[in-house]
Amino acid sequence: MGLSESEKKRYSRQSNVRNWNQEKLKSARILIVGVGGLGSASALYLTAAGIGKLRLCDGDRVQDTDLNRQILYSQASVGKLKVEEAKKRLVVFNPNVEFETIPKFLDSQNADELTRGCDLIVDGLDNNESRFILNKQSVKEKKPYVYGAVQGWEGFVGLFHPPYTACIACFLPQHAHKAEKIPVPGVLPGTIGIFQATEVLKFLMGVEGTLLGRLLVYDSQNLTYEIVDVEKNQNCPHCAVS
Amino acid sequence: MVIFLKAGSELRDRLKPDIDFYTRRIETEQGKTIKEILADIGINPGLVAFIYTSGKVKGLHYIPSNGQTITLQPPVSGG
Repeated sequence: MGLSESEKKRYSRQSNVRNWNQEKLKSARILIVGVGGLGSASALYLTAAGIGKLRLCDGDRVQDTDLNRQILYSQASVGKLKVEEAKKRLVVFNPNVEFETIPKFLDSQNADELTRGCDLIVDGLDNNESRFILNKQSVKEKKPYVYGAVQGWEGFVGLFHPPYTACIACFLPQHAHKAEKIPVPGVLPGTIGIFQATEVLKFLMGVEGTLLGRLLVYDSQNLTYEIVDVEKNQNCPHCAVS
Repeated sequence: MVIFLKAGSELRDRLKPDIDFYTRRIETEQGKTIKEILADIGINPGLVAFIYTSGKVKGLHYIPSNGQTITLQPPVSGG
């Protein structure tokens, strides 16, 4: 898939980064489920990088309480569908990217439809029940899953590609304690969303050093992080071979 | 034996660190699982999503060795 002259100019500052392959990005089709704090940041930077097609999925409408962290939206967005507001902002930012919007919440009935034709799944979700539905889809379709989650000052990022690696159900409990309204400073989903976008780009271009099969645990309060290996769980309810 | 427990931020108050900002020294019996050790020190194991040690994620049924440092990670699910 060739690049136009305007695209070559637009992406010229990244094209000389070691192992960069702009044409691979242009041919990629990425699904982002959840266009909130995480999804706003990952969508923005994947758009900037020149991903060919972004499918944005979210059934929610923008609320005032979103505006501390969901950077694709403004006060004028309140009450409107997130995916439509996101597309409006992103298409102006980079008209070379093709956007598809699905104003639905992920569930087990529509998961096939949402992931169809996508090369990779990006997690922008705000609850683990939905993550497990998306994870099952990743396992079923053998599609890479870029996991992200935030709470308080902490965030997680990981890249999982079952059956070649563990999946998120290998280590996350199926019945974890649920917080009603999860406290989070806006900078944290921004940071984690950008880490997720970075992993997408590296994976698509075959750049070494991804978080494949690993989890980054980031503490933004103390500016510490650890990267830990996630081994396949032989008893995983999602990916263990029976 | 002695182990060291570190906690992600949401668990730090419950852990009551005594070594540094994150870490508490625990005397315990060999052969106990992390789940059992948490119950012994009054931390509900349900508040821990997973643990990790020596660069690897483990489950709550992990049995630590003398001198080992284990990090307790609370659930993180927002987005």
